[in-house]
Amino acid sequence: MTSEADIKWRIPSGQRLVFEDFDDGIVMFDALFGSTHLLNATAAEALAIVESEPGLDTRRIHSRLIERLAIEADSLPIAAVDDLLWRLEDLSLVGGFFE
Amino acid sequence: MSVGTLAPEVMRASLAGAGLALRIPPITVRLRSPLQFLADQIHALYRDYDWLAADAYADIDIRMLPVGGLRRWGAAQVQFIVDGVTPFEPFPIRYALPMFEWGLNWVVSHRLHAHLLLHCAVVARDEGAVLLPAWPGSGKSTLSAALACGGWRFLSDEYGLVALDDARLMPFVRPVALKNESIEVMRAFAPDAFIGPVFPKTRKGRVAHLRPPKESIRRGEQPVVARAIVFPDFRSGEATTVKRVPGAAAFLKLAGNAFNYEVIGEPAFHAVAALVRGCDVWVLRYGDLVGARAAIDEIMSEAEVR
Repeated sequence: MTSEADIKWRIPSGQRLVFEDFDDGIVMFDALFGSTHLLNATAAEALAIVESEPGLDTRRIHSRLIERLAIEADSLPIAAVDDLLWRLEDLSLVGGFFE
Repeated sequence: MSVGTLAPEVMRASLAGAGLALRIPPITVRLRSPLQFLADQIHALYRDYDWLAADAYADIDIRMLPVGGLRRWGAAQVQFIVDGVTPFEPFPIRYALPMFEWGLNWVVSHRLHAHLLLHCAVVARDEGAVLLPAWPGSGKSTLSAALACGGWRFLSDEYGLVALDDARLMPFVRPVALKNESIEVMRAFAPDAFIGPVFPKTRKGRVAHLRPPKESIRRGEQPVVARAIVFPDFRSGEATTVKRVPGAAAFLKLAGNAFNYEVIGEPAFHAVAALVRGCDVWVLRYGDLVGARAAIDEIMSEAEVR
């Protein structure tokens, strides 16, 4: 039996993300589909984590985000990270898989 | 040799025969037409542009032909033909000049993908340019014409051609398409400027074309570096105000304003990023040209010392 908690995340094959960081947000180019997105810092960091460490599950991505954003754990619930990853998945920016 | 050196009768004969290749950097357009009034209008409006022999290489071949066949029994019409293709329905024949200008714009928007094409006017002072990106009705043509007639170098009232390797702005100096009350505004603002015939009741209202300054045409092959991006927002009767636009918002406004951002893809993303990083970005709300020009002068002065 597998559950959603077992899902690991990676950038889809052939995908490449290009970031431009500005004071009011991060603009990202999706090289696979040619679309451009405006991201907040949490989304941009989540993508950077998934890109640099493919195969992490949501819990580990949540831990990495807490570290990289230098925030308290309770200010970013794991449910919000799960929701964020699924929204990124809707945009084909990340893909979930079971090992 | 400039078009103005040709006698009007030679101009008419050239267009009616093998055509005339107009050098409108960065492109060359060969125009052929038997319409003598169109030859005279082109002769006046493109007076300061270079022409090449008809057999010279041309990027675009345009014919403006009276429509034959059954249509000749109705009101006379003119057909725009580009490289043998007729992308539009014919226009009433008296609208041949605006049809040529709009048709050429259409061709450029669909083909000039070696550059990022922003929908914007561009003017320059010294070696730095101000981009005025906006959709129709925001006053960018009138504002750029006013700046051009006030000593600024004119690069375009319609297209910002951004080089994909270094984000410099390439001139694309064309006659300025003035619409409706802008025609009278510019006549009053720059009484010495040449403005061609007024075409009433076009799909954009009344239209007339202002001949660009000769010096801007002469420098038509010289690119410039962008220093400021100003989104003009004309509101009749309102005072002039400026508001800074932060980087990510500026990026999205500028990319959304391009004709071919999606066509070009990643190089366009990098070009827009380079422009936004290299420029101060503002929204300019204005109700009169004098106030707008003063605001742009000030924005540029700040940008030049940045």
